[in-house]
Amino acid sequence: MSTECRMRATVNQKLTEMGERERLKELLRAKLTECGWEDQIKAHCKEVIKDKGLEHVTVEDLVAEITPIGRALVPDSVKKELFHRIKAFLAQHAT
Amino acid sequence: MKMEDMPLSGPDNTRLEALVHDIYSELVEDACLGLCFEVHRAVKQGCFFLDETDQESMKEFEIVDQPGVDIFGQVYNQWKNKECECPNCKRLIAASRFAPHLEKCLGMGRNSSRIANRRLASNNNMSKSESDQEDNDDLNDNDWSYGAEKKAKKRKSDKNQNSPRRSKSLKLKNGELGSSGSSEPYKYNYNTGINYETLGPDEVRSILSTQCGVISEHTKKMCTRSQRCPQHTDEQRRAVRVFFLGPSAPSLPDADAVVESDSFDIPDGQTLMSRLQWEDSPDISPTDSASSKASTNHSDSRRPKKKKTSLGLNSGGGVGVGVVGVGVVGVGGGGIGGGGMSGGSSSSQSNISLSTKRKRPKLSAPSITSIYDDLN
Repeated sequence: MSTECRMRATVNQKLTEMGERERLKELLRAKLTECGWEDQIKAHCKEVIKDKGLEHVTVEDLVAEITPIGRALVPDSVKKELFHRIKAFLAQHAT
Repeated sequence: MKMEDMPLSGPDNTRLEALVHDIYSELVEDACLGLCFEVHRAVKQGCFFLDETDQESMKEFEIVDQPGVDIFGQVYNQWKNKECECPNCKRLIAASRFAPHLEKCLGMGRNSSRIANRRLASNNNMSKSESDQEDNDDLNDNDWSYGAEKKAKKRKSDKNQNSPRRSKSLKLKNGELGSSGSSEPYKYNYNTGINYETLGPDEVRSILSTQCGVISEHTKKMCTRSQRCPQHTDEQRRAVRVFFLGPSAPSLPDADAVVESDSFDIPDGQTLMSRLQWEDSPDISPTDSASSKASTNHSDSRRPKKKKTSLGLNSGGGVGVGVVGVGVVGVGGGGIGGGGMSGGSSSSQSNISLSTKRKRPKLSAPSITSIYDDLN
């Protein structure tokens, strides 16, 4: 277990150190905007805000509402591509 | 701990998958969080709902998604089949072709003038070449197209029967038509030039008075262009005239009325012929040849004028410098362009100018006749 944890820690560390994490973040953001995911999420946000009222909406509210929807709405192609990238990174630098 | 120790096999695979999945989830959550922060900030700053107005206007500009109609609800090829009547030519033109048609029809716009000019130019060239051919027909008895012949006959009747040019037998290739009627039977091939060996002295003189006459090295024929032809210099023309007409033949008539031929000696025939047969020098422009002789500047200034006050027994309007000698004048004068007799005419010289311009209408210079009569 700890080995695993340690392994994960190392992986994460490597990701960050090599800048791969940033790159992956940018890639994901670009892809999500491209496929319209962002607009969908924003529409949801509008709903939430209308529900909660414009004045009183907080970040926590939004996050709590939006994150599950966001996670579910990511298209499969984007998901697959990201998986691919991560695996490639691991294979390259972890073995 | 080095990752290299971990073999990716069996159970580790799932662990690997889980690891990848975890990393992925982390990234997605990061994205969502970022978005939420953005939205929340926009809401709090009041710029989140800017693209939404009231319901009514929203309905009005809703995107239309019907077939045959664009997203604004307009039919896009509504005017395709309509026809409009042109106010100028009263024809029915398709709507999409209407604007270009109007441009040409009314003669305004950029392209229409260009096209018109081109058409005019080609018409001129056509008519000019026909005029050349027509005279040639008479001389050589060649059969040409009937149309050209008809035109030729018509043109000849147009000429004034009493004009002084009637006796002229010559014509310039790029100049006007020669006189009507009599044309001496000299061998004239307007394509390449005059074969001077077969000409008599009178003919030679008359040719030299109107044309460049420089003998081309390639074809051994005289140049038939005007006396200001850019291919030959005045020197060459003078030499030719001296060759044919003897040293007594005066040189080019300059504006200064200077007799240049007095000092000219005729060398051996061989060397003279070699002198005469210059290579064509296409880079000699009229202005160059003019500048080479200071005396010709005077005539150049008159070039743009189209007045036919010149001593015109022949074609060539415009102003230039030609070669004429007294002997030639005696035969019947040379071609004269605009500008008249500059510097006065002496008994030994007359200032004569020819132009290289091709688009000259016929010269009618009855007043000049009297001067020539005096010289003769």
